[in-house]
Amino acid sequence: MSLFFLHPIFLFGLVAASLPLVIHLLNRRKLNRLRFPAVRFILLSQKRISRSYRLRHWLLLALRTMALVLLALLLANPIFQTGAGLFAGAGPVSLVLLLDNSLSMTWSGDGIGFKKAKEAARLFISSLNDGDRAAIIPTSISGKEPIRLKGEKDVLLKEIDHIEIAEGTANLSAALGKAYELLSDPAGQKEIRFISDLGLTGWDQFSMSSLRQVDPAVPLKAIRVGRKQPPLNGTVKEIRAVGQGVGVDLPLHLEAVVANFSDREIKDLLVQLSIDGQNKDQKLTSLPAKGETTVSFQTRLARAGSHIGQLTLKKDGLAGNTAVHFGLHAEDKLKILVVDGDPQTSLVQSETFFLTRALNPTGERESARFLPTVIIPEGLNAAALDSYQVVVLCNVAALPDGFVAKLQNYLRQGGGLLIFGGDRVQAEHYNARLGKILQTPIRDKKLAGEASGEKVGKFDLTHPALQGFSDTLLQESIKSARVWGYSRIAASGKSVLISLGNGDPLVMEQKIGPGRVIFVTTSADRDWNDLPLKTAYLPMVQSLTNYLAGGKRGILDGGINVGSAKEISLPPSYVGKTLRITKPNKQRSELVLGAAQDRAQGSFDDNDVAGIYRLSLAAGGDKEAGTPQLFAVNPPFLESRLDEISERELQAKLNPIRAEVVPVETLQQGGTRTDLALPLLGLLLATLLLEGWVAQRI
Amino acid sequence: MANREKNYFDPKVLAGISNLSLRARWVVEGIMSGIHRSRSKGFSVEFEEHREYSPGDEIRRIDWKALGKFDRYFIKEYEDETNLRAHLLLDTSASMDYTSDGLTKFDYGCTLTASLAYLILRQQDAAGLVTFSDRIESFIPPRAKRDYLPQIVHALETRRPGGETNVGKILEEIAGQIKRRGMVILVSDLLDEPAPILKGLRLFRFKGNDVIVFHILDQAELDLPFEGNILFEDLETANLNVIADPRAIRQTYRQVVEEFTNHMRKECHDSSIDYQLISTSTPLDRALASYLSWRE
Repeated sequence: MSLFFLHPIFLFGLVAASLPLVIHLLNRRKLNRLRFPAVRFILLSQKRISRSYRLRHWLLLALRTMALVLLALLLANPIFQTGAGLFAGAGPVSLVLLLDNSLSMTWSGDGIGFKKAKEAARLFISSLNDGDRAAIIPTSISGKEPIRLKGEKDVLLKEIDHIEIAEGTANLSAALGKAYELLSDPAGQKEIRFISDLGLTGWDQFSMSSLRQVDPAVPLKAIRVGRKQPPLNGTVKEIRAVGQGVGVDLPLHLEAVVANFSDREIKDLLVQLSIDGQNKDQKLTSLPAKGETTVSFQTRLARAGSHIGQLTLKKDGLAGNTAVHFGLHAEDKLKILVVDGDPQTSLVQSETFFLTRALNPTGERESARFLPTVIIPEGLNAAALDSYQVVVLCNVAALPDGFVAKLQNYLRQGGGLLIFGGDRVQAEHYNARLGKILQTPIRDKKLAGEASGEKVGKFDLTHPALQGFSDTLLQESIKSARVWGYSRIAASGKSVLISLGNGDPLVMEQKIGPGRVIFVTTSADRDWNDLPLKTAYLPMVQSLTNYLAGGKRGILDGGINVGSAKEISLPPSYVGKTLRITKPNKQRSELVLGAAQDRAQGSFDDNDVAGIYRLSLAAGGDKEAGTPQLFAVNPPFLESRLDEISERELQAKLNPIRAEVVPVETLQQGGTRTDLALPLLGLLLATLLLEGWVAQRI
Repeated sequence: MANREKNYFDPKVLAGISNLSLRARWVVEGIMSGIHRSRSKGFSVEFEEHREYSPGDEIRRIDWKALGKFDRYFIKEYEDETNLRAHLLLDTSASMDYTSDGLTKFDYGCTLTASLAYLILRQQDAAGLVTFSDRIESFIPPRAKRDYLPQIVHALETRRPGGETNVGKILEEIAGQIKRRGMVILVSDLLDEPAPILKGLRLFRFKGNDVIVFHILDQAELDLPFEGNILFEDLETANLNVIADPRAIRQTYRQVVEEFTNHMRKECHDSSIDYQLISTSTPLDRALASYLSWRE
């Protein structure tokens, strides 16, 4: 219920209401003097009529003042609105309806808020008169949609019907910016109505400075779809994998951070984990008011590749996003071909003893990520390199004829090669046969006493192969090692990952196309160093092997927010290929991958629906093994926070725009709008008649 | 003086009154008095008093003996026996000095008084004059001499309005000085408390006088025709001021005035006193004619 004026400029005329009083005072000041004999009769007359005279006098003054007030109001043409605050019949109206379809609207109005919001929008559209135009802008817009003002009510009503909850945060900057853009041209009365739960999250991201144009003269009315009582509301804030990561047959440890946004404790909340549609685990927990807790799960993935994960919160009356999707890409066991160049009858003394234990500490096949297969150099020609992700040469004196070409081809296909030095390595042979692979010749061997070995000097922690070494304990561990024998090479600069205290390279890298080669200049066993006895040996071996295998570990993709862009990065073989993306609602989009930083990359921003987006090659080809086949999109977790922005905060956000907040409950069905000009005219005439009558009586 | 005298004795006024059988009225009055000894106009038979000479007096009436004794001119006054001894009482208080159309109540009262004196003297009756405000300003005893009129006129001409009104007290005072009954004609605006006025008038009646009251009011005093807010200042009483909107009080004012005049009229009637309300806008001849008609 409100009152507004079509021509408010005439309200300045209210100043004229003081004229009768001013005239009265002026008249009192300029009195005529008259010498008169019958003053006693005048006194007697005044005494008789004094009370009624004063009453009539003030009544007359009031009537004249009221007449002027009514005249000013009449010219200003007041319009009285009840209920919906419908629109004037005078002059065309250009109306922009902003309809909040963010996810929080799902829980507004005690569960029917969005329905109420759409009903209010329909009411506004239905109340338009001929010549009026309107536009419907859902707050989920990106700003690029071709929205325009139109006068066809049926079209506008259909547009309202088609607007659904967008599962994302309201893009208020884009929506309001579009509204002002639409209203920049039309003449006549302009209005913006924003139907929303006034959720705090949307306004957190809003800034007036993001609007290109603003017109404070356009009335902005916020129709608030509120709640009678704040509900229990919570959601999953984060899901992460801990431990060894994500792998086939490996223990999969997941941690979910569950947040409670309400002022009350949430008791007996059931958190359920399902993978590929099957319930895997569930936990019962409680959440303190405005607090959060971590819930742990453990499961196991039986096959390699992508899996769909979902965490569901189950609690009666719980509002908020209760189902969160995530993707799991399980890495298959990495097969490692280990060539022992110095085999011994005693395993402990063999060249590969420490290496194989570092790759598979338990020796069990099921729990291992790396499956090393040890052969002697004579078996190289017979080995099927394609079956292995990484080939490790440990103190191999020389490579068989024909194997070098086979190895080069393997590297060109993305394979990984790890070379350890040793006393058997023939530098001349390596320089001659593996010159294209090593690219840097081996100069000689440096051997010293065990007590006078070199310590490790520098680490290139920026290198992906050493990312796990940021831990100080690991660094101290590897720095405590002594290296007394190694092959000296002339490599330097970026290709050196670890160098000794004297500056000689200890670990260096070369790239052969997509393939990667790492040369460790010392031995894999204890012949030339005491590295195998150090804590850092196992992670170093696994990290280098993992890197050579493509740097791919099993991953948990917690997903992106609805509306955000998904950056897709695939092996370089995908450059130029078209990726087909199937959305949760079965809609399909295509994305052509470009080249960037030795990877095939693309950005997909049509993520307007929460759920699992599946990736496939448009041409029907198979994706390479080990590449993710899906990604998850979730509503922003803050969208489950149902706190409303206060009116004061809203005004501060919108400054200099003045917004009037109106509860949706006041939008009575069939709200009316009354032009008060005619009643005011009648009242004015009645006032003038009464004034005339009273004036006659004085 | 000639112009003023001409004003007072406008031939139209006097001719209008002569046509209204004034004579018949005097006859009736004479029957009621039982005495009608006037044989000739202006002829004296009984010495009454000396008075100081005033211009217009006949030279032959100067008392030469008195001149020799007092070295001042005195005129010997003789009392006539007439049908009527009329005392003309003229209110000269400040309230009479008001006009809304050029002729003040005082001027109107003087004209009326002089006209009445002329008529009375012309009938060889005795006419005297008393002018008063809150005290007696002048007292000219009634005489039936035809040349007495100039004295009355002179007294009227030399008198200017002023002072407050105290009609009741003055009437009592004059009543005490009138030894013989006759006629008392009061010309006043009566802007005073009614009770003392009526008391005084009744005193005249008690002494056997016929009493006629000419209540002179300006038309503006009757109608209050003014517009706009006005500060009314009383003519007689200093600091008696009042601000009023005449339009707002006009109706009530007229009621108040009407009640006052009605009250005076009724009380006079009850005491057998002739009462005539005359507006200064009323032509003098019509005022006299209507009065004489009523008297008749």
